[in-house]
Amino acid sequence: MASLIHCPHCGVRPKEEFSIRGDASLVRPDPEASDEAWNDYVHIRSNPRGRYREHWQHGAGCRRWLVVERDTFTHEVFSVTDAAIVKREGSR
Amino acid sequence: MTAYRLASGGLTDRSAPLDFRFDGRNLTGFSGDTLASALLANDQLLVGRSFKYHRPRGIVTAGPSEPNALVTIGKGADSDPNTKATVAELYSGLDARSQNRFPSLKYDIGALNGLLSPFLGAGFYYKTFMWPAAFWEKVYEPIIRKAAGLGRAVLERDPQAYEKCWAHCDLLVVGSGPTGLMAALTAGRAGLRVILADEDFRLGGSLLGETARIGDASAQDFAERGLAELRSLPNVTMMPRTTVFGWYDDNVFGAVERMQKHVALPQAKLPVERLWRIIAKRALLATGAEERPLVFGGNDKPGVMMAGAMRTYANRFGVAAGKSVAIFSNGSAGYRTAADLAAHGVDIAAIIDSRADGSDRAPDGVRVIRSASVIDTKGRQRVAGVVVERSGFEQTIACDAIGMSGGWNPIIHLACQRGAKAVWSEDLKTFLAPDVGNGLVVAGAAAGRYTLAGCLKDGAEKAAALVADLGFSAVSHTAPAVEGEIDPSFTALWYSPGAKAKAFVDFQNDVHVKDIGLALREGFGHVEHAKRYTTNGMATDQGKLSGINATGLLAAMQGISPADVGTTTFRPFYTPVAFGALAGTSRDEHAAPVRKSPLHGWAQRHGAVFVDSGLWFRPAYFSRGGEKTWRESTDREVRNVRENAGLCDVSTLGKIEIFGPDAAEFLNRLYCNPFLKLPVGKARYGLMLREDGMVYDDGTTSRLSHEHFVMTTTTALASGVMSHMEYCAQVHWPDLKVRFCSSTDQWAQMAIAGPKARLILQALVEDDISDAAFPFLAAGAVTLKGGLKARLFRISFSGELAYELAVPAGLGEAVADAIMEEGRAHGICAYGLEALNVLRIEKGHVTHAEFDGRVTPDDAGFGRMVSAQKPDFIGKRLSTRYGLTAADRMQMVGLKPVETDQHIRAGAHLLREGAKPSTLNDQGYVSSACFSPTLGHDIALAFLKSGRERYGERVVVWDKLAGAETVAEICNPVFVDPGNTKLNS
Amino acid sequence: MSRTYISRHPLDDLLPLEPGIRAVDHLDIPRSSAIVSVMAMDGEEASVTAGLAASGVVSIRFTGPGELLAVSQSETPESLHRNLSLLLAETAYIVDQSDGRVVFRLSGPNVRRLLAKGIATDLHPAMFEIGASSNVLCGHISVNLARTGENEFELIVMRSFAVALFDDLKVMGREFDLSAGFSVRV
Ligand SMILES: [Zn+2]
Repeated sequence: MASLIHCPHCGVRPKEEFSIRGDASLVRPDPEASDEAWNDYVHIRSNPRGRYREHWQHGAGCRRWLVVERDTFTHEVFSVTDAAIVKREGSR
Repeated sequence: MTAYRLASGGLTDRSAPLDFRFDGRNLTGFSGDTLASALLANDQLLVGRSFKYHRPRGIVTAGPSEPNALVTIGKGADSDPNTKATVAELYSGLDARSQNRFPSLKYDIGALNGLLSPFLGAGFYYKTFMWPAAFWEKVYEPIIRKAAGLGRAVLERDPQAYEKCWAHCDLLVVGSGPTGLMAALTAGRAGLRVILADEDFRLGGSLLGETARIGDASAQDFAERGLAELRSLPNVTMMPRTTVFGWYDDNVFGAVERMQKHVALPQAKLPVERLWRIIAKRALLATGAEERPLVFGGNDKPGVMMAGAMRTYANRFGVAAGKSVAIFSNGSAGYRTAADLAAHGVDIAAIIDSRADGSDRAPDGVRVIRSASVIDTKGRQRVAGVVVERSGFEQTIACDAIGMSGGWNPIIHLACQRGAKAVWSEDLKTFLAPDVGNGLVVAGAAAGRYTLAGCLKDGAEKAAALVADLGFSAVSHTAPAVEGEIDPSFTALWYSPGAKAKAFVDFQNDVHVKDIGLALREGFGHVEHAKRYTTNGMATDQGKLSGINATGLLAAMQGISPADVGTTTFRPFYTPVAFGALAGTSRDEHAAPVRKSPLHGWAQRHGAVFVDSGLWFRPAYFSRGGEKTWRESTDREVRNVRENAGLCDVSTLGKIEIFGPDAAEFLNRLYCNPFLKLPVGKARYGLMLREDGMVYDDGTTSRLSHEHFVMTTTTALASGVMSHMEYCAQVHWPDLKVRFCSSTDQWAQMAIAGPKARLILQALVEDDISDAAFPFLAAGAVTLKGGLKARLFRISFSGELAYELAVPAGLGEAVADAIMEEGRAHGICAYGLEALNVLRIEKGHVTHAEFDGRVTPDDAGFGRMVSAQKPDFIGKRLSTRYGLTAADRMQMVGLKPVETDQHIRAGAHLLREGAKPSTLNDQGYVSSACFSPTLGHDIALAFLKSGRERYGERVVVWDKLAGAETVAEICNPVFVDPGNTKLNS
Repeated sequence: MSRTYISRHPLDDLLPLEPGIRAVDHLDIPRSSAIVSVMAMDGEEASVTAGLAASGVVSIRFTGPGELLAVSQSETPESLHRNLSLLLAETAYIVDQSDGRVVFRLSGPNVRRLLAKGIATDLHPAMFEIGASSNVLCGHISVNLARTGENEFELIVMRSFAVALFDDLKVMGREFDLSAGFSVRV
């Protein structure tokens, strides 16, 4: 029926405004990285029950990619952060 | 012997009689009646037949848990099957029919099932119809389907309108009885945005049938005052006729408002039902409690009713369920009904109390039989007496209705819909709502506080706590005193022993005590298994009455606590919701938005036949007088483009403006081919890969200035590519200085293709567009004569000399008209998607028919485009893995039938001549095929193992779907102008 | 041969050119507006917004971080694009969207209720104030929504969706007898 995501740029929005791309903990490997690293990045996904970080795009809103940390079982959302901020902070 | 309208009393408007029909009989009720109360007032006790045994059934409840009184209301396309008469608001002209009977309610052939009932126990269908397997589909199921079933689904299109709405509030109060009313008043006075929703057409809940006095007023006056105050508060929204059916993530509630279900002729401008999604900061569940039926022999006979329902019918509707009523009770509530009925002048035949030591007071002169059990009921189609056993002695007491009261179940469905399990209370002998946090609070009878005073107090107090929780300050208010009420305590009784007839647990699905026992004996004792095995709780009422007794019986039979049995899973919807309401306005042209090109009107004027292309409407072909098939039009358009010129609308291609000092670097990483050195004023074909090395999308990107590019994408993936680029820019490389936005809708873009394209276009364009000044792949701003700024690209999908001209969308039609006018002398025609497709197949150009996610650049013949020099681009790393570089990969080739009158269709598979069709022998597949007007026979693009080495060989095109096998020759996929002389002319 | 090209509005075939009777709840559609996408360069987000606000000639519609639509009813598309390109030459990229976007203006006592049929955002004046704007989903269609008054909202939609949104708004407004027409030219 509905669930809500609090976009850091737009406020509370229904999930219909978003599209989900999956695991946000994956970082694109260096082009020279090993076959295993690339295989993991492109093909291997876990499907955990519980806390999970996902990429959601606010496609009908600000069009930003967001990192949504939520519980896959209860859909409790713990945090929503702009993906670029997550990336910049991660690379520091 | 008969149910009847009391001489006075109740809240119906006796000055407003309403005519209605039931099974063809003309009857009369009053404004304020439900269909059920009006039927009772007309002594129509028998309202339906049960599901399995077709037993006669009567009205049991006065609310949404009703298992029996399901009727079809309305006619034809407008009819609603399985409508509960107990909640259907009576209106003038209401036309209701009973269900699940043939030929009539009174004489029903299916009742024979009742005679066969020894064979129809739980699991009967599963066991009996197992063998032989083939019989299930052909013999058993059709028979069962015919005999079973309640109302019939309507096959005609629903003529009514529905819609959906969003709502927001600080506090949603579900239920407007004493608890909800006090909660709404407390929150409303404190200034919260409050929504008060109640499924009933009249707000007030149990107060409407209450005889106790509150403060100085009757319960009804108290409710009226409270509701009047709420109506005066601008921050409070009252929603009668609104069932809150579901609780979803993030405190979103689903509700359905029946706006015009109570009128004979709905207004066209209003929906009949409105589906609400209510975003509530907090919610308070004041849904009350359901009276528990008692499981005793013959308890399904018409005339057996919930005692509380009898009270509601008498007090609220002014209707007596019988002239002489027996009460069977395990607690005080039965006495309360007896007292209220007696006050209305109804004879109480006896109170049968399962307890030994009840201290409740019966009305004067009423006989009370304690420590007693009801073991059977007398009468055929309605109750004529009750058979009571006490200490081994049986007696029959004459009566025409039996009120049963088995205790109370808080209505906690919403609180349990998100996975938390109901919690058994040994004190209250019932399941209570789990603690689900502060988003949803349960109060009043729904929280096990059954007294009126307790409800008023609990509603006010819990709402005050929520008010404070949300940072408002509550206006203090003391709950008024209640006079003349009883505490409806009870002693659990799961089964009244000694039954001499079937003792039903689930009335609607005909599950009786023995079925539950059978399930347990056969290993289906888990509450969820027992439900499926017996079908208890699987009917349209979803076990609202039967669930608790099934749990109690399963526990009692095993000698364990109901806590260890638990409940079945609560899921939305609380009561059934029409598909129409769930769809809202999203049907027909509103099901998905149609996107229209800025050249839509132009195409229409030229006779376009449109086709859906994603959300877009695009011209498939332009039909001219005398052309009978799409092929005739398409062939003409193709020939004309090759010989003269054509104009095609390509506005739907995605267009993305890309800016910034790192724009070129960004593109270089997106595409597999290099873009850093693309000169200003040039377009380049680009291939985007997925990270796994397969082709994602293609298109041209042009450099308009050093830091400004404009990209085109395919129509199909325009939004996908945009999103992909945003992902790359924001997630992978946020430090690149690049900005981009879509300009798809800003431009009307048209391809002008054919040997005469330049001639036509030059007449309109100020700038020199000769081959020398504007060669193949030139791109940039031009000015049309008259001063209009436009963009021109020398690119070609057809293989002809071609341009794409982009003008501001609003001017698209005018410019297209000018081109057609200018081109008339040169034989220009409009061409559509079909011709575009033929032209590109002839030229060996690819689309998403080829790029289907399994194709690498090399497979499609673009191997040399992929940059080996670039350090990185999306898809680079996995492009070089073994599977993607294997020598026997399927490569794109052309195919032409050896017998030129034979056909090739897309989707066909390729086999070596003489090979049997099998996965092992599969050599490839046809991705695109068409009739080539230029060559005069079918041609195709196909992917074939090691295809490029096999030009000149023959393969069999095996088309199982069309039942055809065609021998074809493998050839270069560029059928027309392989030397590109036309392109560069 | 010199030509003059006449611009068409996507609703030209659906609305009378001259305004008809206005109901209390009304959908007003300007036949043309000057609209540009403004994309701030890195680090220039605040200065772009400030610069635009100071210019006083445009309404600003938030679309995303560092990105907005600038709308003007007085400028032509060409002049708006030219002026903002000059004003923001060092701080933002400007893309003309005047033909790519269509403006819908809703006004009247029931427009909040009307919009609640398509938009999930809380439009209570305390939650979505006058001057607020944001991209939202209206039914199936993404629009930029702005509150221009207590009971006045402006929706900016992509041109290709204009007819679909118009059809949707008519259905949403049926209950309120919503009237619709092109703006009276000033
Ligand atoms: Zn957002």
